[in-house]
Amino acid sequence: MTLDRARWDTGITYDAFKAAMTRNQERFAENESRVVLDPETVRTFKSLPQRLRVLVLAEDWCGDVVANLPILGRLASEVPTLDVRVFYRDQNLDLMERWLNQGKYQSIPVFVFFDQTFRELGHWIERPASVTERRAQERKKIFASHPEFGSADAPVDQLPEDVRTRLQAELQKMRDNMVSFANAEVQRELRELVSRVAV
Amino acid sequence: MTGKPVKVKITYCAECGYEPQALDLSKALMYEFGAKLSAIEIIPWESGTFDVSVDGELVHSMRREGGFPEHATVKSAVRARLDRGSHV
Repeated sequence: MTLDRARWDTGITYDAFKAAMTRNQERFAENESRVVLDPETVRTFKSLPQRLRVLVLAEDWCGDVVANLPILGRLASEVPTLDVRVFYRDQNLDLMERWLNQGKYQSIPVFVFFDQTFRELGHWIERPASVTERRAQERKKIFASHPEFGSADAPVDQLPEDVRTRLQAELQKMRDNMVSFANAEVQRELRELVSRVAV
Repeated sequence: MTGKPVKVKITYCAECGYEPQALDLSKALMYEFGAKLSAIEIIPWESGTFDVSVDGELVHSMRREGGFPEHATVKSAVRARLDRGSHV
């Protein structure tokens, strides 16, 4: 399957995706409003010698989409030479098959950068590995400092409901505290990606 | 199969969109066992989780087995538990 103009035109704009969200719309808007674009990110994308098309695979229920797509959306609003089109993953499985995470997982979001002739320049999937790693470390710390949460590897359904609720709150707090780091890491990876490939 | 009712817990990753699988499994168990189940508890969680336990015994874990459980596997576990309960 090759991506061509006709297929590209079946994608929806970033704003249309936001408007059509049936889940997480408020959280998405909140995340978007909190995105702080690094001037270096804007400079890097603005200095690209050509317009780029960015194909996005997404679904509105996905936490990583809700966390990371707003960063691309904000960037595209600052950089008029970025043309973003969103494709729902579950309606475009042929596209998904092309950019599987580690060749097997249908992870989203996927951002695929193309030149104007639909030559793929590079792609980015889900979230930075550094974020996954930091999250795992922070998770371990939470379990270490709260013996009542039991083992990090044990099924959570064995916890009493009140303890489970407290664990959930701690994990959410940890996520919230990591937003700045995660957003900066996403931007770093996107800068590196386009700097490597966009000529 | 006249054992004491068993409880099934399904923990699924809400941010991964695993609701359809959790609901499908719940429905399959409800139709198969009806009032032989004391409860089906559905727990929204995170981190790519899809765990199923029957009376506290973990019978499927996405992390351990990979993927979603076959409905037949969970039904067998429930049947075994009901059988065990009827012989106590």
